[in-house]
Amino acid sequence: MPPEGQATFLQHHFPDAPTQEHAARLGMWLFLATEVLLFTALFTGYALYRYLFSETFHAASKYIETSVGLTNTVVLITSSLTVALALHAARQGQGRRAAALLAATLAFGGVFMVLKGFEYHHHFVTGQLPGRFYAFAELAAPGAAMFFTIYFLMTGLHGLHVLIGMGVLGWLAGRAWRGDFSPAYHTPVELGGLYWHLVDLIWIFLFPLLYLI
Amino acid sequence: MAHATESAHRGKAHGAGRYVAVWVALLVLTALTYAVRRYDMQEPWHLVSALLIAVTKATLVALVFMHLWDHGGATRLAVLTSVAFAALLIGLVLVDNATRFPYANPPRAASYQDPAGAPRPPAPAGRAPAH
Amino acid sequence: MSPSPASDAAASAPSYLTADRGMGSWLTTRDHKRIGVMFLVLTLTAFALGGLFAMLIRLELLTPGPTIMDAMTYNRMFSLHGIVMIFLFMIPAIPTVFGNFFLPLMIGAQDVAFPRLNLATVYMYCLGLGLAVYGMIQGGSDTGWTFYTPYSTTTTAVVWPVLLAGFVLGMSSIFTGINFIVTIHTLRAPGLTWMRLPIFVWSMYATSVIQVLATPVLGMTLLLVAVENVFGFGIFDAARGGDPVLFQHLFWFYSHPAVYIMILPAMAVMSEVVQAFSRKNMFGYKAVAMSSLGIAFVGFFVWGHHLFTSGQSTFASGIFGVLTMFVGIFTAIKVFNWTATMYQGSINFSAPFVYFLGFLFFLVFGGMTGIALATVSLDVHWQDTYFVVAHFHFIMVGSTIMAFLAALHYWWPKMFGKTYSERWALVAAVMVILGFIFTFVPLFLLGNMGMPRRYYSYPERFWPLNVAATAGASVLAMGLVVVLIYLVVSLVWGRRSAPNPWGSRGFEWNTPSPPGKENFPETPTFTHGPHEYQTPDEVKHAA
Repeated sequence: MPPEGQATFLQHHFPDAPTQEHAARLGMWLFLATEVLLFTALFTGYALYRYLFSETFHAASKYIETSVGLTNTVVLITSSLTVALALHAARQGQGRRAAALLAATLAFGGVFMVLKGFEYHHHFVTGQLPGRFYAFAELAAPGAAMFFTIYFLMTGLHGLHVLIGMGVLGWLAGRAWRGDFSPAYHTPVELGGLYWHLVDLIWIFLFPLLYLI
Repeated sequence: MAHATESAHRGKAHGAGRYVAVWVALLVLTALTYAVRRYDMQEPWHLVSALLIAVTKATLVALVFMHLWDHGGATRLAVLTSVAFAALLIGLVLVDNATRFPYANPPRAASYQDPAGAPRPPAPAGRAPAH
Repeated sequence: MSPSPASDAAASAPSYLTADRGMGSWLTTRDHKRIGVMFLVLTLTAFALGGLFAMLIRLELLTPGPTIMDAMTYNRMFSLHGIVMIFLFMIPAIPTVFGNFFLPLMIGAQDVAFPRLNLATVYMYCLGLGLAVYGMIQGGSDTGWTFYTPYSTTTTAVVWPVLLAGFVLGMSSIFTGINFIVTIHTLRAPGLTWMRLPIFVWSMYATSVIQVLATPVLGMTLLLVAVENVFGFGIFDAARGGDPVLFQHLFWFYSHPAVYIMILPAMAVMSEVVQAFSRKNMFGYKAVAMSSLGIAFVGFFVWGHHLFTSGQSTFASGIFGVLTMFVGIFTAIKVFNWTATMYQGSINFSAPFVYFLGFLFFLVFGGMTGIALATVSLDVHWQDTYFVVAHFHFIMVGSTIMAFLAALHYWWPKMFGKTYSERWALVAAVMVILGFIFTFVPLFLLGNMGMPRRYYSYPERFWPLNVAATAGASVLAMGLVVVLIYLVVSLVWGRRSAPNPWGSRGFEWNTPSPPGKENFPETPTFTHGPHEYQTPDEVKHAA
């Protein structure tokens, strides 16, 4: 897109571009705050049941594979790096580089989901399922089924957000490749990046709280 | 006039080095949280150390990757408020369950353990196991 | 800033209503004013539906024992009444109708920060309404609007549609809140400092903060109930070690701040009305502005007062009881300042002001019964009786709905450029207020006598008061129908109104009535606060 076309991104009700950018950023952060509170409802359940069933949670945590969780943590942290670098590139006007970094971030998200898929499969096979579906005879203490309920609900909701984030990243990568972004206009990359960082942030808490009890 | 921040301009001045540095720090902290877990510690300290490390990692991500360091008061206030209220919800729920009449909590063992000194309630006929 | 001759010239130009024609232009609009009008139609439809359920409830309660329905149907009636009224009217109405319409006008902005997101909230609302109606067709929920576990997670009634509706409506609410916060932060016109903002804007800001922080918790909680009900696994299942009271904690963490989402916009409107109809600016402006934030903040600390009789620890109950007392302080600050605003003002005793008086008295009585209920030792007797029902209806109907009606009448000429019949407006206001008193005062007495709520039958000794309540409800309903009639008449056949029939110096009156499609041809500049009915010199000397 030619440089002159960049001015058309300014909407009529904003007095100038910096105000519009600031507004978009503030709006996105407020949305992230709502996501934090969405997960808080599940973290509350987690906190309560870990408090009530601390030994059982400790025992049940051994049955989810720490090395997979650790790998996934590294994957997401690295994906946060690539998306931050993508924004950096977009700011410099390096559209193709930004697109490549966004695609890399998406790929890391894919790796995360594949690893998670392997984990889930293992749980299905061994009967470590939520609630009334729990059929894992090796650990039958009160609270064991609840651990896996919490595990599936929290990682499930997190996984859903990873998928949504991957969709957003793919869309942004396409736009970056087409040259939609520039030093003057890169807000969508910034906002999409913020969403992806939140996905990473939530996992930063999920990993020790679920895998390292 | 409702003003925008000048941060967009500030952001352009730096190189990408800070992101890589934070990435390394995050990996180190991840290794640390894994290593700490392998120590045998009293129960509260596992949780405390895990949370401290997680909060440190989250702060790094928020301040550097998400540019909260560069951008102004309203966004930081939004973040801090949401975290504070999350802590409020979790905290007061735990206070409730921790101070309840013991039998008002879900049963924690296959059979009721007597809380110290409390009379044991008679077992109702035909009651199924707790799980 | 006073109305300029330019605004009269602009009045002959097409207004926001007529500038673009055709249904398509409405369905794809980004104009906050049109969005406000669409929400008016939607929320009033929901209000009618919720009111229908209310009348069915009151008809059933006309006699002890079954009157027109059986117990299971009655359960669905009061559940749907609550769900529709709260999620489809009480929470969205004033913010989406009057907040959307007037927030940009009051701060000198051309629109809200995210107009397309604003339009999306209309469609989210429609989706939520559709899901709720679908749920009704499926038989509706029988759990009460509070969805307490374990009943809600095990009932065979089809609850997931209304739960999903609640989630979607919650998203609509969240995005409205985000939009308003960003608008107030970033789109204030030059000269409009925070301390010059209309009180309406302060209260909308506080409301939006609650919407953003509290609603996601409810959304997640409703989803968890739906998952547990449909799929059979969840975190409230006692057989798996779950704690059903956890649901109550999560639910009320939202639903208590939600009542402040309902009352703060009402207080916002009333702050504007009291200034305009006393021709005096707000006594203690700073205190009133800050008290809105105070209510929003402290409102998050008190949810456990809904759990006093649910098995919550006495220690936690004590904490919540004491904290609840603090919320009353901020409301008291507002009541004192509104009263002081009226003192030595020049009162215009028309319909909006009549509604304000009703609002004020019912807020005080309803609020005081709230403080009484916050006392654990008293609540043990009143919990789940009609005393609680009367308390919250005093606030929701006696205050919030009065405020909605006041807003509708105060801003009718501004929004539509038409006058309504003042005589019929006063008749209707009297009917509404008297009908309200006869509906809900008996409920306090019934509750105190021990009549439980959510029961379709009752002992004979409760019969006379129930008859009185049903009679009152009928008068209330008729009054509301009268309002609807003369307002529709006004739209179709009403006289053109003057640009500012009340002589109000609220900032929104500086635009034509109705406003043009573009709010401000040139960006306005603000040099003082709103409702300055005296010049600064007079104010200084009077003190």
